[in-house]
Amino acid sequence: MLDARVWLVWVLTTLVAASSARNPLYTVLLVLVTTVVGMVCASDDGPVGGPRAILSPLRFATIALPLSALFNALTVHVGDTVLFRLPGWLPLLSGPVTLEAFVFGAQNGLVLTVIFAGFAVFNQVTPLRDLVSLTPRAFHEAGVIISIALTFVPQTIRSLNRIRQAQAVRGYRMRGLRDWPPIVVPLLISGLERSMGLAEAMVARGYGAISDQVQSLRTSAGLVVGLLTLLGGWLTFLFRPAWREVGVGLMIGGGALIVAILWLAGRAVRHTVYRSRRWTVRDTLAIVGCGLTLAAVVLPSPLGRGTLYYSPYPRLTLPVFDPLVGLGLLGLLMPAVMITDKRGNK
Amino acid sequence: MRRIVSGMIYGLSGAVGVLAFLYPFFVPATAETARWVAHGQNAPLITAALVGLAVLALTIELQGQAISAKMVAMLGVLISITSVLRFIEVAIPMPGGFSPVFAPVILAGYVFGSRFGFLMGAFTLLVSGLITGGVGPWLPYQMFTAGWAGLTAGWISGGMEWLVHLMGRSGPHRSLRPDIAVLCVFGFVWGLLYGAIINVWFWPFAMGPAEQTWSPGIGLGETLARYGTFYLVTSLEWDMARAVGNGALILLLGAPVVRALTRFRRRFHFEVHADA
Repeated sequence: MLDARVWLVWVLTTLVAASSARNPLYTVLLVLVTTVVGMVCASDDGPVGGPRAILSPLRFATIALPLSALFNALTVHVGDTVLFRLPGWLPLLSGPVTLEAFVFGAQNGLVLTVIFAGFAVFNQVTPLRDLVSLTPRAFHEAGVIISIALTFVPQTIRSLNRIRQAQAVRGYRMRGLRDWPPIVVPLLISGLERSMGLAEAMVARGYGAISDQVQSLRTSAGLVVGLLTLLGGWLTFLFRPAWREVGVGLMIGGGALIVAILWLAGRAVRHTVYRSRRWTVRDTLAIVGCGLTLAAVVLPSPLGRGTLYYSPYPRLTLPVFDPLVGLGLLGLLMPAVMITDKRGNK
Repeated sequence: MRRIVSGMIYGLSGAVGVLAFLYPFFVPATAETARWVAHGQNAPLITAALVGLAVLALTIELQGQAISAKMVAMLGVLISITSVLRFIEVAIPMPGGFSPVFAPVILAGYVFGSRFGFLMGAFTLLVSGLITGGVGPWLPYQMFTAGWAGLTAGWISGGMEWLVHLMGRSGPHRSLRPDIAVLCVFGFVWGLLYGAIINVWFWPFAMGPAEQTWSPGIGLGETLARYGTFYLVTSLEWDMARAVGNGALILLLGAPVVRALTRFRRRFHFEVHADA
C-alpha cells in the first residue's frame, strides 16, 4: 500500500531514533509504536508482503531483555543498590550485583528490541519485488543476479525435496553432516545445468550486448578519489580531534562523490518498468511523520537534548520525559494512520 | 593502468572497511574521542555508513567489469542454492554459530576467483537476509565480511597453483587433497575471523567488566588483550562451532564440489568466435 522507499525511510528513522534515544521511557514508546505499525500494516500487506521473521518481536523481547539484563548485572559491578554478592572464586563474575546494572542491561535489551521490531515490520510489509526494484540503476547487473537468485529459490527448494525423496526411495537417510554430499552435489549440478539454460536464453535475448561493456577508467578513478577522501576524513576525525569538522566534511564529501558516481553510472543504463507505482499523498505524509521523529531526536528541544540520554548509574533515578520528544517519536505511527485511513475510505 | 586503479579500489575499500571495524585498536586518548565513544549513539551509525560505502564502491568496480551472461546466471543460481542452505539453517537450529553458507562461498571463490568470490559472499548474505527476514543494521557488516571471505579464497587458488608448479606436480589430473586441506584450514580460520570481526562493531560500546571492555587511550596491546578476554568469554565457543563446521563441510563436500564447479567453469568459458 505504501511505497517501498517510504518503508526504507521509516526503518532507517526507527534505527536512528533507537540509537539516539537512550531513555527507557522513549524506548518503551518506540516499542509500542513499532508493534502497532507492525500489527496494522502487516495485516494489511500480509498476503503480498515479504517473508515473516523467524522470531516475532515479542518473542525476541522475552529472550533479549532478561538475557541482556542478566549478562550486564553479572559482569558489571557498578551501582549503589547492591542486591547480592557473588563469591570471589568465580572468575570475571565475582563482586556485587546491582539493581542499576540490571536496569542498564534491560535498557540495552529494549533498544535491541526496537531495532529488531523495526526491521521485522520492514521485512514483513515490503514485497521482495519492491525491495529488488530499490536497487540503484548502476547496479543493474547486481539487480539481475539478485533477481535470478530470488526467483530460483522456490525452484531450488523443490529440487532439494525431489533429490531427498529420490534418495529416500533408494533407502538413504539423512542423519548427520556425513550424509550431506549425496544431497548437495546433485542439487549443485542440477542448479548449474539450469543456469546454463538460463544463460543461453539471456544471450538469445541480447543480454551480452550491454553487459559486456566495461566501465570507464574515469569512473574507477572517481571511486579512488571518493574512497581516499572518505578514508582521509575518517582518519582526521579519529586522530585530529581539533580538526573534527574538517574530518566530517571530508567524509561527507567522499561519501557524496561515491553516491554521485553511482548515480552517473546509473544514467547510462536504460531502465523500463512494466507497471510503475505512483507516489501518493499518503507516501508524502508518512515521510513527513519520519521527518518529525528525526527532528525530535536530532534538533534541540526546549528541555534540552539531555532527556534523550539516561544512565541508571551510580544510583537509580526516574528518567525525565520531554512531551515534545515523545510527540515527535509518534511520527513513526504515520504509516499505520495512513493505512487505517485508507481502509476507512474503502 | 586499469589494473592499478582497480587494485587501489580493492585496497582502499578494504582499508575503509577494516578501519571502520578496527578503529578502537589504535584510536588515541582524547577527551573528545572519549565523549564520542562513551555516548555511543552516532558511532555505530557512522561505521555502518562507512562499511556500506566501502561495499558500494567495491561493488560498482566489480560489476562494472564485463560479466558474461553465463557468469550472471551461474552466480544467481549459486547464490540461490547457498541461500536455501541458510534457510535450512534458520529453520533447523544447528549447534552454536554453525552455518552452511560459508563453505560454498569459499569453494566458489577458490574455483572462480576473487571477484566472483566477493560477489557471491556479499550477495548470498543479502539474498538469504531477504528470504529469511534477516535484513538489519548488521547486514553491511555481514556482506563485507562474507565478501572478503570469498575474495581471499580466490587468492588461495593462485597460491596453490604456484606452489604445485614449484613442486613440479602441476597438470590437469593432479590430486585435490592438498588444496582441500588448505581450504579446510582457511574455512576454519574464517569461521573464527567472521565472528571476531562482526563483534568489533559493537564491542567499543558494550558495557562490561573493565578487563573486557574498551576505553580510549589504553594502547594497542591492552586493547588486544581486553578484546581477547571478551572474545574468549562471550564468543569463542559459539564461533568454534562455525569454524569446525566450515572445516568439516569443506572436508566432506570440497572435492566433489570443486570438481563439479571446475567442470562447469570449463563449459561456461567455452565460446565460439566467428571468423571475421
